Amino acid sequence: MSAALLVRTLRDPASVAALDASGWNSLIAAARAERLIGTLAFRLADVTVPPAVMPILSDARADAAREARQALWEADRAAQALGPLGVRVVLLKGTAYAAAGLKARQGRFIGDLDILVPVEAMAAVEQALIVAGWEWVKDDPYDDAYYRQWMHELPPMIHATRDRMIDVHHTILPLTARQTPDAAAMIADAMPLGDGLYVLSPEDRVVHAVAHMLADGDLQGGLRNLWDIHHLLADTEPNILEARAARHGLGFHVRQAQRLAAALYGSGARLTLWDRLIRARLLARNGWGRETRKALVFAFFLRSHWLRMPPLMLARHLWTKWRKGHRPQ
Amino acid sequence: MGWQRVAATKLYRREGVDAVAACALDDIVLLYHPRSGQTHMVISPVPEILDELADGAPASVAQIHDRLARSFDLGPADDAMREIAVHLDALVALGLVRPA
Amino acid sequence: MRHQLTLRIGPATFRIGSAWPAPIAQLTSLYATYPQPADAIADFTVRLQPTSLVRRFIHPSIFITGDHGLADAAPMSLSHGLLAAEMGMNLQMALGWRRHLLLHASSVEKDGRVLVMTGESGSGKSTLAALLGERGWRFMGDEFALLDLESGAILPFPRLVSLKNRAIGVVAGEVGAARMGPLLAATAKGDIRHMVPRADAVAHMGQGAMPALLLFPRFGHAADMRAVGQAEIFMRLTQASTNYVALGEPAFTALTRFVRDVPARAIDFPTGEEAIAMVERLWEEMA
Repeated sequence: MSAALLVRTLRDPASVAALDASGWNSLIAAARAERLIGTLAFRLADVTVPPAVMPILSDARADAAREARQALWEADRAAQALGPLGVRVVLLKGTAYAAAGLKARQGRFIGDLDILVPVEAMAAVEQALIVAGWEWVKDDPYDDAYYRQWMHELPPMIHATRDRMIDVHHTILPLTARQTPDAAAMIADAMPLGDGLYVLSPEDRVVHAVAHMLADGDLQGGLRNLWDIHHLLADTEPNILEARAARHGLGFHVRQAQRLAAALYGSGARLTLWDRLIRARLLARNGWGRETRKALVFAFFLRSHWLRMPPLMLARHLWTKWRKGHRPQ
Repeated sequence: MGWQRVAATKLYRREGVDAVAACALDDIVLLYHPRSGQTHMVISPVPEILDELADGAPASVAQIHDRLARSFDLGPADDAMREIAVHLDALVALGLVRPA
Repeated sequence: MRHQLTLRIGPATFRIGSAWPAPIAQLTSLYATYPQPADAIADFTVRLQPTSLVRRFIHPSIFITGDHGLADAAPMSLSHGLLAAEMGMNLQMALGWRRHLLLHASSVEKDGRVLVMTGESGSGKSTLAALLGERGWRFMGDEFALLDLESGAILPFPRLVSLKNRAIGVVAGEVGAARMGPLLAATAKGDIRHMVPRADAVAHMGQGAMPALLLFPRFGHAADMRAVGQAEIFMRLTQASTNYVALGEPAFTALTRFVRDVPARAIDFPTGEEAIAMVERLWEEMA
């Protein structure tokens, strides 16, 4: 299982000394599939690797550096567009880690720009972004209504000339989810970066990353999210984290993430049965970078929707999606 | 006119981090902006306007116009200033120039 | 994956896995003269996998993916498996190669200098490179020309030449059946047949050379030749590159240097023979 090999290498970079060509091929394919190739490249920066691997890793480091630069530029553009509104714009996920210089940023793949803004500012934010050149991606009325009514964000917008996406959130889990984290409290405790941009407090960063991974997701990209969490945890005060997690209704999930991060990337932990199932899902990838255990993957896809929506709504949503040819990967 | 009142008070500046690499090909100037990773194709008087802001100090449309007028024949001041203001706002939208 | 092959083309090593034996068997034989190091560490993994379990056996349908893939790539029939493998390798290069600026262009070399030809699919750049490769030039590639960011040299990527429709007959008559792949009829791009480059192209696939002439060929028009402005050339080359943006400032520097240093012409031609005469004449005058 190449995902297990990837996890072992991230935990213990020196272990690559034992790899043969086939092992390297598996490791690289898994790292690319999990979008952890940049992270792997940083972890292996001081380790001796075969000559054929060196350019692959240096390409990955250069890609990560460019992504960080572009992500920070998008944040700058958003700050410029939203500055006049005078609301707190909280950067989330990869862009936040890059902007705050956190360890989790090293080599991290960064996709869209994710920002959290106060719910009462949503309309003004939407308007200001449109004035600054962002526009709607989807013109499917069903999806649009679904996003606005049930998700925790505006429908995604893309900048007309820069071709980069922005996701504007006003809470950190969909309104249909069982947990209801207190977004207003997170915004209030966020830390300023300058230019009207903020990042979450160290403890809220963990809570947010955990909500994203365990309470919301189908665990796609879970190994990367867990790697983030592993590093974010190092900056937290255990007591404050416990209190914050409880306040946001995510105490169970945060403890589970701590166990999983310790088990996969740290010094080990005792796992429950449910933890083990998640671990199996996280490690479901073969030596060609291909997902294995289709049934388990599908179960988690269903579960991710189950967590967000009551069953009847789920059926309706999946039906509408599948009729249009969408399938879980 | 309204734009003139605005132009009289509105200031523009360039930040050091927004420096560009330039390359002239025929009558077009290519600008590579490392911070955004974007390549822009511009023509006169845009490169000249950028040059006038190169020192990083904030300047108004009128100030930029007066500095350019020392080296170039800009024609009627009114038209020239209107054009400069349009270019500056376009440069602000690209992130090469910032409102000061 | 059940069937696999590791293959080196120019500077890139591919590990290709397939759920079916046929595409791998065809690749192995057509690329017989290329390095096929079984225990190499590959730059890219390509996967030819069934779109679903059923599709492995019944009306087999190939989903092309790998390290880099397109979620909405249309599946292909197993009878076009060779094309699927080629597309899979192209996809990895287009989306993942970072060691050179990738130009969607064909290239040939003579006397240590390179002729680069770029244009849309159907412009004739592929056929022209294939024909020149049979007539005293070294074939370097029909799909990607690799521009070295530091030296400004063009490096070869001489994969199989992919000939389409009418070009198949023109080239097959010249090179003989032994160097031709199977006819892939009625693909999304029409009929396709692959041609194996000459032995010298494969033997020297590690050797680059400086570019001396850039052409924008256009097949199917009355013979004509035009100068092209440098700014237009720059714009067309950025549009013909899949990694210009990803490579950032070094790509800007290398490409502006290329545009300033390399003379360029657009040429229209009605037949391959006329094109070759025009190219040889321009090469004498300009390169």
